[in-house]
Amino acid sequence: MLKIDNLSATVGEGEDVKTIINGLTLEVPAGEVHAIMGPNGAGKSTLSYVLTGRAGYEVTGGSATLNGADVLEMDPEVRAAAGLFLSFQYPVEIPGVPVMTFVRTAMNAQRKQRGEDEISAPDFIKLSREVAGKLKLTPEMLKRPVNVGFSGGEKKRLEIYQMMMLSPKFLILDETDSGLDIDALKTVSDGVNAMRDPERGMLVITHYQRLLDHIKPDKVHVLAGGKIIKTGGPELALRLEGEGYDGVLGEAG
Amino acid sequence: MTTPLRDLIKNPTPAELELVARYAMQPEDARRERAFTAFAGTGLPHRRMENWRWSDFKAQVKGVENPSEPSRHDPLEEGAAAVFRFTPTGFEYSAKLPAGLRMLAKPEAQAFGGAEDMPLGALAAALSGSKTRPATLMLEVTGSDLPRIHFAFDGEGEANFGRVVVLIRPGAALTVSESYTGGAGFSSVLFEYGLQDKAQLDRIVYQRGADDEAIAVTAAINLEESAEVRQTVLAFGAKIARIETRVTHQKENAKAVLNAAYLAGAGKHIDLTSHVRHGAQHCVTEQITKGAVLDGGTGVFQGKFHVPRKAGQYTNADMQHQALLLEQGAVVFAKPELEIYADDVECAHGNTCGALDENQLFYMRQRGIPEVQARALLTRAFVMEALDGAGMLGDILAHEVGAWLD
Repeated sequence: MLKIDNLSATVGEGEDVKTIINGLTLEVPAGEVHAIMGPNGAGKSTLSYVLTGRAGYEVTGGSATLNGADVLEMDPEVRAAAGLFLSFQYPVEIPGVPVMTFVRTAMNAQRKQRGEDEISAPDFIKLSREVAGKLKLTPEMLKRPVNVGFSGGEKKRLEIYQMMMLSPKFLILDETDSGLDIDALKTVSDGVNAMRDPERGMLVITHYQRLLDHIKPDKVHVLAGGKIIKTGGPELALRLEGEGYDGVLGEAG
Repeated sequence: MTTPLRDLIKNPTPAELELVARYAMQPEDARRERAFTAFAGTGLPHRRMENWRWSDFKAQVKGVENPSEPSRHDPLEEGAAAVFRFTPTGFEYSAKLPAGLRMLAKPEAQAFGGAEDMPLGALAAALSGSKTRPATLMLEVTGSDLPRIHFAFDGEGEANFGRVVVLIRPGAALTVSESYTGGAGFSSVLFEYGLQDKAQLDRIVYQRGADDEAIAVTAAINLEESAEVRQTVLAFGAKIARIETRVTHQKENAKAVLNAAYLAGAGKHIDLTSHVRHGAQHCVTEQITKGAVLDGGTGVFQGKFHVPRKAGQYTNADMQHQALLLEQGAVVFAKPELEIYADDVECAHGNTCGALDENQLFYMRQRGIPEVQARALLTRAFVMEALDGAGMLGDILAHEVGAWLD
């Protein structure tokens, strides 16, 4: 599924160039959920941006492929059509563009890129109603501009709504638990768990073990200094919670 | 003893000489003469005049009848109850006028003052009409539920000048649309709207001209007690185009809503200038102007609120201008001005110019929307905020914006 091999990436220009990802290797097979944990500044968010093609990051070495296709060569929208979805840590407000219009435009753009027919309006509305019901999003919220006037929890639920509507092959969740209260965390986690599928992979980026109580990972990786320095099962997350990054990293170093 | 016509304008350009010749062919009329004299005081306005520093008509208008593209499609004509069409030889109208609207044969209203501040408006007043048509189309509105009336200005390859006076009687209401679709080398139109007590006016203006056309639209809007005007402009510019609106709050509790969107592509210049005088207490002005400009295009926003010390007390006024520079090479000039002498007022203004937000673009592309489409969607959403007030015509204007972005 997603295969990252010896990936290196920098941010900044001229004298300010900094290497953030430094020889990172990671493989998430289809059907598995992997968690990436790490201290502030380890490169967690950068990894999600490099994989999805945000401007401002330069890949200086290594490769990343999704089902064998080199994603690093693709424009961001082509990566999306190929099945890569990022749930943003800070979802972006888009004034003047209603949620429904936005998601339908995105869905049809992806279909066009893949050479598929557009979704009909009735089919889209039916699907939207189903998904919104599961996430406790009201029809009124879906008429509002994307993320404008949404609370932190609503924004994260809207990310999951988009994810379920677009049904991507591979999900990257960047700090999806940040800004969520306990109830919202449960709603969001239920949404993510409903997306688990033998054909689909997930990378869950988080600071805290808390999210992993709800979204059970198959593997946990510790990211520090731009590379994976430790990999284990779910028990590794519990150990990090108990001993802190310093304890676990000290042992690895 | 009067000055010979050719000496009215100092060091005239060829275009100005043509304008003098056109004026000489008009029948004699004291009002025309006053208007032309006012125009001649400055000639075609130019960059050394403070209000025209970014829109130099003297330099840009090379000739008056230069051949140009045929006029553009007029999206607003359909659905209007009556259409007044202005051509180089005067105006014509086809439909029977709706009840509550009539043409006045003789001027029953005095022309508004201040023509000396509006050189191109004065020019329009001096050159409108012809030997067989009156200089001024005067309309009187007495009804309050009239269907929309429409004014179409297309030049048919010549210069086009027009002057319209609309009197809206107490309690009456009117919706008008005006389309300036080019087709003339140089055109200038003057509208004077007089809103008496509790009168209402919805004015929708659409302007789209070619790369070799100069267009000026000047409107003076006078508001009496509790009168309300809502104006929505969508303008695409021309070689040089200026849409100027001068609002005077003459009596208490009047309200003006001035919304405008401009989209300037390569080779286009669009100037939106407004002047609002709060000449009475408790009056409200809400103004929002949004622009988007491509490489080689120029947008100009000049807005002024003038609030005199006693007369303007308890004014509530807000002026916003926001422009998107869509590409390197796009140019926007903005001059928002608040001139406030009264001490118990609420007046605000804001002015921003910038590029599209990279975070928004990436978010949209991550969802699968190609960059070009994402830019169009964001730009459209940005400018449409200024077109919300266009009522039933909003969809048509939205379609025009969308077509330009595609």
